[in-house]
Amino acid sequence: MLQYILKRILVMIPTLLVTSALIFTVINLPEGDYFETLAAEMQAQGEKADLSRIEFLKKEYGFDKPPVERYFWWVTGLLQGDMGYSFEYQRPVREIVGDRLMLTMVVSFVTIIVTWLIAFPIGIYSATHQYSWGDYGLTFLGLIGLAIPHFLLALVFMYAANVWFGTSIGGLVDPQYLNQPMSWAKLWSILEHLWIPVIIIGAGGTAGMIRAVRANLLDELQKQYFVTARAKGLPPGKALRKYPLRMSLNFFVSDIGDILPSIVSGAEIVAIVLSLQTTGPLLIRALQSQDMYLAGSFLMFLSFLTVIGVLISDISLAILDPRIRLQGTATK
Amino acid sequence: MNGFPRKPSRRAALALGSAAIAAAGLPRLALGQQQTPLRLVDSPFFAKQVADGTLPPVVQRAPTSPRIITVSGDGREAGRHGGTMRMLMGDQRDIRMMTIYGYARLIVYDDNLELASDILEGFDVEDGRIFTLKLRPGHCWSDGSPFTTEDFRYWWEDVANNKRLSPGGPPQALIAAGKPPTVEVLSPTEIRYSWDAPNPVFLPSLAGAQPAYIYMPSGYLKQFHERYADKATLSSRVKTARVKDWGSLHERMSRMYRPENPELPTLDPWRNTTPLPAEQFTFLRNAYFHRIDQNGLQLPYVDQVTLTIGTNSLIPAKTAAGESDLQARYIRFDNYTFLKDASKRMNIDVKLWKRAEGAWFALMPNLNAIDPVWRDLNRDVRYRRALSVAINRKDVNKVIFFGLAKESGNTALPESPLYDARQAGLWMEQDKTLANRLLDEIGLVKRDLEGIRLLPDGRRLEFTIETSGESTEETDILDLIKQDLVAVGVKIYPRSTQRDVFRRRILAGQTIMSAWVGMDNALVAPEMEPDALAPTSASQFNWPRWGQFLESSGREGEEPDMPEVKELVRLYHAWRRSATHEQRRQIWRDMLRINAEQLFTIGIVNGTLQPVVVSRTLRNVPDKGLYSFEPGAFFGRYMPDTFWFDPSKAQV
Repeated sequence: MLQYILKRILVMIPTLLVTSALIFTVINLPEGDYFETLAAEMQAQGEKADLSRIEFLKKEYGFDKPPVERYFWWVTGLLQGDMGYSFEYQRPVREIVGDRLMLTMVVSFVTIIVTWLIAFPIGIYSATHQYSWGDYGLTFLGLIGLAIPHFLLALVFMYAANVWFGTSIGGLVDPQYLNQPMSWAKLWSILEHLWIPVIIIGAGGTAGMIRAVRANLLDELQKQYFVTARAKGLPPGKALRKYPLRMSLNFFVSDIGDILPSIVSGAEIVAIVLSLQTTGPLLIRALQSQDMYLAGSFLMFLSFLTVIGVLISDISLAILDPRIRLQGTATK
Repeated sequence: MNGFPRKPSRRAALALGSAAIAAAGLPRLALGQQQTPLRLVDSPFFAKQVADGTLPPVVQRAPTSPRIITVSGDGREAGRHGGTMRMLMGDQRDIRMMTIYGYARLIVYDDNLELASDILEGFDVEDGRIFTLKLRPGHCWSDGSPFTTEDFRYWWEDVANNKRLSPGGPPQALIAAGKPPTVEVLSPTEIRYSWDAPNPVFLPSLAGAQPAYIYMPSGYLKQFHERYADKATLSSRVKTARVKDWGSLHERMSRMYRPENPELPTLDPWRNTTPLPAEQFTFLRNAYFHRIDQNGLQLPYVDQVTLTIGTNSLIPAKTAAGESDLQARYIRFDNYTFLKDASKRMNIDVKLWKRAEGAWFALMPNLNAIDPVWRDLNRDVRYRRALSVAINRKDVNKVIFFGLAKESGNTALPESPLYDARQAGLWMEQDKTLANRLLDEIGLVKRDLEGIRLLPDGRRLEFTIETSGESTEETDILDLIKQDLVAVGVKIYPRSTQRDVFRRRILAGQTIMSAWVGMDNALVAPEMEPDALAPTSASQFNWPRWGQFLESSGREGEEPDMPEVKELVRLYHAWRRSATHEQRRQIWRDMLRINAEQLFTIGIVNGTLQPVVVSRTLRNVPDKGLYSFEPGAFFGRYMPDTFWFDPSKAQV
């Protein structure tokens, strides 16, 4: 087992290196750079961009050097924990991302928990009451959540919340609480806003998870061991919890790998529509304006979390299901 | 002026000073003069600070001869202090809007688009080349430090002529006939800039929405300057800020146009108090502001302005929910009906201002296209005229703008002193026969089975018109125009791209024709630089390569080779050397005429409307206004510091 974990960790190093090269290349692919984009935007609304000033800034930030050299600067910086400098915000990337990370994690955690709380009971109910009215009804609801585009749902919810409850549109808190220390009133205001992104971001995930729990559980319910257990007189609830439910958790554990980065990145599009001050809009904005160290370092951070997440899910899978562990060693 | 006591009391000086200026015939103090002594009134906002002694009383804070603003006329009246003005923005960089809206400049454009002093007490021009600027005595920066000619000297010697801070040397506005000025500090309140040749750009650049800053708060900035700061302290500052060297640090700390540094003193009506990045920026009133209303109240009336940053596509919805007190940015004409409907429920009014572009929508034939056949065709004035008269502008106006816009070429607006109705209507009326005749004349007589004309090399006369894809209105207009052009045997395909791609394709000559706004500023006056009428920048989509040539002083791009364009370039240079108002007016007229006759840009409509959402409690926002970056600085020319909150007007 220890050897297995060690191997998995060693594989992470080249993976991350390749990822970093890919990220850097892709960000550099569009012609021009941040300063040219900035000049273009300024000119688009009649402002003048001083060309010599732009040249000056480019030199200032090393854009006169070849890309390969810049890549090495960046990667060595990353290794030392320096995520680089954001042109747009004029501050180190770490400070900018740090400010928003907390809020993103709150939204994501609450969403994930809510998704689980809704999806598991429904999934179990649907599986154990297959083809019943309840099964159909709940599945239908879930599929609606999956089918409606998130941004549309977000707009409808925001409008409704504003007209019915007077909640301010977008954001995670009423404007008067921005830049204020946390207080009960502010917390209440956050809760008042939080349910919208949670429901919207959760809607698709819930539906997917309901289907997965239902399908996996149904498979197990038809297997011999469950039939035997029931035949031996084990009460239905206990029989369900003790065997098939555990077996159906495989998919759920392997999903953890994806959860970690999604906690940090949040749901970008929904966050933009809802104007949430999370990391998602920051990343997209950075990509648009070619604020390359902000975008690159942030993507790198996400890749790192993905790799860690996959590692965790691999390890827990190996613990949960011996078949995986054995197969893993047998083929190698 | 000799009879005055050497050190008059502030009150006396206030009255006498303004009377003296009026008598001496110095440039007007813009809106009005006040003959009776004023008793200065402070905002209750500072009452506590003044009482406990942390802030001097207003009589000591305002300059000895402040700028007196007579707030009157057009539904405007003198107001009261207080309140928070909320605005919505889409981006951190939008904090520069406060510098624009505040519109505190050394010199400003007044109601007649003439230059008037604002921060300056007065200025004096000799031969169009010697400029003497006179500051207001006792004027202070927002941190209370004195604003004197030392701040001008510091900028000129230690910033503009410092190799590290300005490797390119002083900005273009300070270069006349290739040479920088001689700068003489005459006294703490007087400074003189003199050139060997006339420099007509100098004063307008100071009055711009994005002004040339020829001064900086030296008292504050010296601590970041290599020449003045203590070496050890400076290097530790550089370390904590994590920047390369003192130059980067100075650059970051000294941005005046984008007030990112809350510590940086300002002369604007409000000062930023929030560091980047933030979800909401709070601007507080500048205790040392130099404008006073006729009742002696120190402006601005409004104590606080907040900018809440959010997704820009949500701004119309948020505005409709009453979350902004003054909003025009990120709101478009197609939001009007929605906002009007919301105004029935919320405490907001929607006003319609007029936009001031030469053309809200214009076709830009790329005279620098790489395909030789298309390039020659685009350069043929008959072809450009044929396209123009083939278009039914009335329909476009009716369908897209409810008939509220004006069908016009890309030229000066009626509100401009240089407006010429004949030029605005030249080649603008739809005339299919004329269009067909012109196209036949060029030799495009052969047609294919569909009735599309054929080019000399046998290709069909069909091309894509590219847009930057920023509004659906653009593609709607193109769809309308498409029908008109097919009727004369020309086929177009509207195509929207992304702005960066759009620009690069045009500059590379891959785009045959694009659609874009016309002149950004059509409220032109002879004193403004006619750079939009000649190729001067790579972002002019009808002649990008020629523009690039002039912009880079011949290092990039191509030299213009069409006689009419060469003439425009000659006129532009002549303007840059002109000394008198009369010369400048003549040059402007000639350039406008050539542009109107040659149709280098084919304007469709202008004078479109801009919704301005105003809280019902906010007074003094004009019902009718002109909305433009230049020369109005959006709200700037209407002085948001004179807007005030009247709670009695609230109604839902």
